[in-house]
Amino acid sequence: MSDLDDFKATYFDECSELMNELEEQFAAIEGGERDADRLNAVFRAIHSIKGGAGAFGFSGLVGFAHAYETLLDYVRDGRVEMTDDVVSLCIRANDIVADHINAAQTGEELDASYGMEEKQRFDAIARGQSGSDDDEWSGEIIEEFDIEFTPVRVDLALADEDEPAPLAAEAEVDAFDAPPMPIEPGHWEVRFTPFRQLYSRANDPLLLFRELASLGEINVRAVMADIPPLSDFEPFGVYCSWEITLFAPDLTEAAIREVFEFVDGDCSIEIVPLGHVVPPAARAAAPAAPKAAVSPKPADLLALTEDEMAAAPRPVAPAAEPVRPEPEPPASEPELSALSFADLADEIKATEPVRAPAPIAAPKPAPQTPKPAAAAGETGEEGGNRSVGVQSIRVDLDKVDRVVNMVSELVITQSMLTQQMDENLRARYTELVRGLEVLAQTTRGLQDSVMAIRAQPVKSVFSRMPRLVRELATKTGKKIKLETIGENTEIDKTVIEQLSDPLTHMIRNSADHGIENPEKRKANGKSEIGTIRLSAEQAGGNILIIVEDDGNGINREKVLQLARDKGLVAADVTPTDEQIDQLIFAPGFSTADAVSDISGRGVGMDVVLSNIKKIGGSVHVRSWTGKGSRMTLRLPLTLAVLDVMLVKVGESPYVVPLSSIVETMQCSGATFERVPSGGQVLQVRGEYVQVIDLAARFSMHSTKQPDERFVVLCESEGSQKVALVVDDIIGQQQVVIKSLEENFEQVEGIAGGTILGDGNVALIVDVQGLRVTHIQQKAA
Amino acid sequence: MTLRVLTVDDSRTILAMLHHTLSNAGFEVLQAEDGKQGLDVLMSHDVDVVITDINMPVMDGIEFIKNVRASGQYQSLPILILTTETSQDKRDQGKAAGGTGWIVKPFDPDKLISVINRVVH
Repeated sequence: MSDLDDFKATYFDECSELMNELEEQFAAIEGGERDADRLNAVFRAIHSIKGGAGAFGFSGLVGFAHAYETLLDYVRDGRVEMTDDVVSLCIRANDIVADHINAAQTGEELDASYGMEEKQRFDAIARGQSGSDDDEWSGEIIEEFDIEFTPVRVDLALADEDEPAPLAAEAEVDAFDAPPMPIEPGHWEVRFTPFRQLYSRANDPLLLFRELASLGEINVRAVMADIPPLSDFEPFGVYCSWEITLFAPDLTEAAIREVFEFVDGDCSIEIVPLGHVVPPAARAAAPAAPKAAVSPKPADLLALTEDEMAAAPRPVAPAAEPVRPEPEPPASEPELSALSFADLADEIKATEPVRAPAPIAAPKPAPQTPKPAAAAGETGEEGGNRSVGVQSIRVDLDKVDRVVNMVSELVITQSMLTQQMDENLRARYTELVRGLEVLAQTTRGLQDSVMAIRAQPVKSVFSRMPRLVRELATKTGKKIKLETIGENTEIDKTVIEQLSDPLTHMIRNSADHGIENPEKRKANGKSEIGTIRLSAEQAGGNILIIVEDDGNGINREKVLQLARDKGLVAADVTPTDEQIDQLIFAPGFSTADAVSDISGRGVGMDVVLSNIKKIGGSVHVRSWTGKGSRMTLRLPLTLAVLDVMLVKVGESPYVVPLSSIVETMQCSGATFERVPSGGQVLQVRGEYVQVIDLAARFSMHSTKQPDERFVVLCESEGSQKVALVVDDIIGQQQVVIKSLEENFEQVEGIAGGTILGDGNVALIVDVQGLRVTHIQQKAA
Repeated sequence: MTLRVLTVDDSRTILAMLHHTLSNAGFEVLQAEDGKQGLDVLMSHDVDVVITDINMPVMDGIEFIKNVRASGQYQSLPILILTTETSQDKRDQGKAAGGTGWIVKPFDPDKLISVINRVVH
């Protein structure tokens, strides 16, 4: 049972990968790239989905995927053209497949008629294309098998020496018609004549007999009448046939035929209930008994004239005939009885060069296919970056995470060791200090390598977006094009998984609120087609994902009004433009005045913020009225480890992500100014920065005189700075992030927790969150 | 003697199920995700029977079988084609390329073993 569940889990995993692949392929196909590789990839994806679905009995999915697959197969071989209509139909079908997969996963029942319309369209398109094609095609198959037929007759005459050997079908006295045997119910006579391709496909008569023996008692006799004299013996010729008597009551002919299922077409099979007389006419019509060429028996051969011998058809297919040197025409062939050993040796020599190494006939179709790939690999093509063999391995994510965790702990231990090296020790044990430095470096390298294992290109998320944009464009009646940049940028797998929802929201927001309708754009002198640009890049220890549009920008008046209405901003507070822009991420805020189908779901952009915060990232928005807006997601490269500055507030340690710190200074040298709203600002090189006293903010008691405290100047995403006032600065180090939510609950202004080298817990300050809550607190 | 089966399929689900069924039946199982990998495995391992899918990226099953048969030493290696009930044409193509027999997906474990026994010495 659990095995089956495991398989299902694997299957659904695979499905989601395949669905991503489909998205990606169709994004390109839509863009006009309809080459065979893409179509094949699409076909394979659906084929695999169907294959697995069949294994688990997801019949709805199988049925739909099958119709879809059939259409794709036709598209693939050019019978159906991939028009825009077909592309749209396929994209719709992908949705249906996804829904079926979902239903299979959750165990819910889809309506039987679901997807029926599309299915019927597939069938209609496919039917429209098959018709006459089908006939033509099945003809090819028959031809294919016919072409290799080696006409070897089943000759039962050997059993009866007096019976003249039949030479031609028309003239023969058929052995099957000869003396009727007493009818014994349950006895079957099976006449089995393999053709050479049976052997070339690695089938073995012995195994067939073994299989027959499992059905009942058998008696096998080899028919060797067709074995030619040695001089004519062709190494890969097939001369032997067999007749098998099978005693198996209650056995149907179909059951016997099933044994020969794999060799159907590669041999001649006749199954007759013993004693049953087959009328000659029926036999002649039986396709399984080719009689065109009949090989003479040795005795007859001896009687033939030389000319006759030359003219006598050989018992093997002409293509398999060894090439004999021309100087030895048949006419010079001595009589068989006079054949000397010397002649024999010559014969064999003449035959030898064409002999293949294996004892069984080489496949007739000349292999035009490339040489086995490994050969190329062994010669070590300089272009090949790696040798042959599996170039990637699949590893359970749990295993990777275990390594990540252990490395993280190693990082902590290492930083703990470093922390405990005070000046005294440093002076005394220089060797040890050097060793620790090397250890620190190696640990960091190890950590990077481990993180790289978890990294994946953002492509997997980006590829879902073109389609979203297309749908949004259709729904809103706007013209929107999506540009993606840097989709090969790699981020931690968990981050990627968390990215899909926020990105979807952001793009919806841009399409719904940002981009104007074509008329308005035209009136404003812009191109009718709005552009949304989605880009990813690495910036230091972060990944930036940016969604930009060239729309109208954020309507600040409306945003501010709404924020005031909802009590997010107090009436007497006048936020800056940037603060207003940032308000769209405030919980419960939704700019949708009329709740639209697209983004106005009430759970708008605050979802983005909370999702991103959950993975240790931040969001920032900038807007230019009439020109567009830009939302930037700043994400950590890795989830687990963070470079931080350790500070003290009261008696408690806090850590501030190093990436957001601009500079630190002593309070004694800083100029604070009060502002009318009640807060404080700090003047830094002519710029006013909002001040947040962490002690006050976190209700701690500052242990120090105001002048002895420190300012940590932080820059959250964008240009807005904030000055955090702390009691002490301890130093920099790396910490392993532990989720507060998982272990406690979400706390405003805190991004998570960490365990320090000395075993103490420190909270990670969420600079961005602090600013937002600060505005709200003031408003309250 | 433990028989060694090479399974070639681009679907992890199918590979996993084959692996489970075959190893439970006492076979040693090797895996490859496309024909090219399959050839590589054949180069470095002695294999008693091959089970291969047809539709695969990089090198499909038909090409794979042709390549295997084209090299002299594998002429008598049984190759089973994994097909679906409905893909008769694929089965035929696979056979024409040199496939020994076929297994219809979704396969029944007992049937799978019996089919293998049918083609392996």
